[in-house]
Amino acid sequence: MRWLRNILDKVEPVFKKGGKLEKLYPIFEATDTILFSTDERTHSGPHIRDSIDVKRVMILVVVALIPCYIFGAMNVGYQMALALGETSTWQQNLIRGGLKILPIIAVTFAAGAFWELLFAVVRKHSVSEGFLVTCALIPLVMPATIPLWQVAVATTFGIVIGKEIFGGVGMNIFNPALVARSFLFFTYPARISGDKVWVAGPDGYSGATALAVPAAELNQDAVTLLESVTQFDFSWINMFNGWIPGSIGETSTLWCGVGALFLVITGLGSWRVIVGAILGLTGMAVLTNFMAEVTGSSNTMLTLPAHYHLVMGGFAFGVAFMATEPVTGAHTDKGRWVYGFFIGALTVIIRSINPAYPEGTMLAILLMNAFAPLIDYFVIQGNVKRRMARYAQ
Amino acid sequence: MLEHYISLATKAMFVENILLAYFLGMCSFLAISKKIDTSIGLGFAVVFVLTITSPANWAIHHYFLQEGALAWAGFPDVDLSFLNFIVFIAVIAAMVQLVEMILDRYSPTLYHNLGIFLPLIAVNCSILGGSLFLIEREYTLIESTVFGFGSGMGWFLAIVSMASIRHRLRYSNVPHKLRGLGITMLLTGLLSMAFMAFSGIDL
Repeated sequence: MRWLRNILDKVEPVFKKGGKLEKLYPIFEATDTILFSTDERTHSGPHIRDSIDVKRVMILVVVALIPCYIFGAMNVGYQMALALGETSTWQQNLIRGGLKILPIIAVTFAAGAFWELLFAVVRKHSVSEGFLVTCALIPLVMPATIPLWQVAVATTFGIVIGKEIFGGVGMNIFNPALVARSFLFFTYPARISGDKVWVAGPDGYSGATALAVPAAELNQDAVTLLESVTQFDFSWINMFNGWIPGSIGETSTLWCGVGALFLVITGLGSWRVIVGAILGLTGMAVLTNFMAEVTGSSNTMLTLPAHYHLVMGGFAFGVAFMATEPVTGAHTDKGRWVYGFFIGALTVIIRSINPAYPEGTMLAILLMNAFAPLIDYFVIQGNVKRRMARYAQ
Repeated sequence: MLEHYISLATKAMFVENILLAYFLGMCSFLAISKKIDTSIGLGFAVVFVLTITSPANWAIHHYFLQEGALAWAGFPDVDLSFLNFIVFIAVIAAMVQLVEMILDRYSPTLYHNLGIFLPLIAVNCSILGGSLFLIEREYTLIESTVFGFGSGMGWFLAIVSMASIRHRLRYSNVPHKLRGLGITMLLTGLLSMAFMAFSGIDL
């Protein structure tokens, strides 16, 4: 490794102030700090001595996403084989699916790195590893059948409008990966709306997603309806394992749960948000089930029980990796409960009573991103009032 | 019946949010959303004015201006509906004066903070828009009151969330030329995209 260090040291003056390529310093700095640990120290307080820094946080999140990636690739391959009517081993599935999602990942990272570097050079801030997380999240929330140019456009929108105009990592209001996805969702709904399955493979292959099945029928029991589908296996345990069509990384509740557990253990994600979201989902689902019985509504989605809501669509993925994001969520512990609770409750509300969208997690998290600062404000005001009352005595 | 009114209010608040779905009342929304306290004050002022002016304008339209409305006075053929706009604006201006006097008396700080934007509620398009919507959609008196209140609450929600977002934005590093109105416009767009979660809900 010595020779690499020597090369970097040799070219450093070219990028330093006064050097020929001084404008491109952020690119040099990014390469340097990715290969070797930085020798830089904090310039101003607060100084915290800790082995964890932004770089490590971001890499750990990417590590937490790896199970979803591997499973996602396998599932894409599995669905392909299923659609073609073939039987295949898991190795074949993995290779086939991997080849299918590799271009999506490559395009995302290329577009993301381009904008990140451009902004770093023009605005003279250092390249942050945050874009790795954003770029790692975007392919997982895309369908395997998405055209690559749409991936590039969405990544551009997510990185630039969702993050860079606010100053980069840690300063954004909305989750950039969600901004990217909802941008696609509203501008090119044909490919991503979520009522038709996305299965790479034969042309013209079509079917209804798990969430669209009960949404399409009136006056039925959602669970019996799901069990009656023969094209896919929409039983609870199969949906929990994730062998159903959907966006690349979102289908498996099991592996999203593993990722979430990893985030909670390493202290990166807040368990309060996750528990709050599951509570909100359960509470609202119980309420809708109750309402379906009392009002006799013809809406089949209302009869879907909570544990089915948990394993269907993108709820598990969204809550594990997007709602727990520390920047765009609530910053106070009490606020995190409220924030999580509303994400769960709104997901069920959008899924059940909004006929326009079969899926609601993405929009629920986006909406709560908008209200997270307000929740924090009220929590802080409450603290201020309590303390004032305490010291007034 | 109560259910109908609740769904009407919810619809005006979330599904057809007067600011984030129709983009009415943008000027004061952009200008007053810097501080949370002030935006809460202005939000309540808008809720108040909308709730009062909606039924008032409804009554004026139905008993004076509508075609054939003056039948009770012996003029069944008169159609004064071309006066709608000017009369609505006058009613709104009068109500705003009322709010101004109340605020000046009871909350001078808020009155001072809102400054010129308090009298400017009179020309806030969301309020005139509310009155025109209720004529167009042929609401009844109670419906228009509920609709006015719901729209006001929707506007309140939008401005308060925007104020809190801008509060958090103080820690961000926005490019110089985007600071202030530019970034707020972009945020409004993103906020409106998040509010699309409710679009299409049919209550």
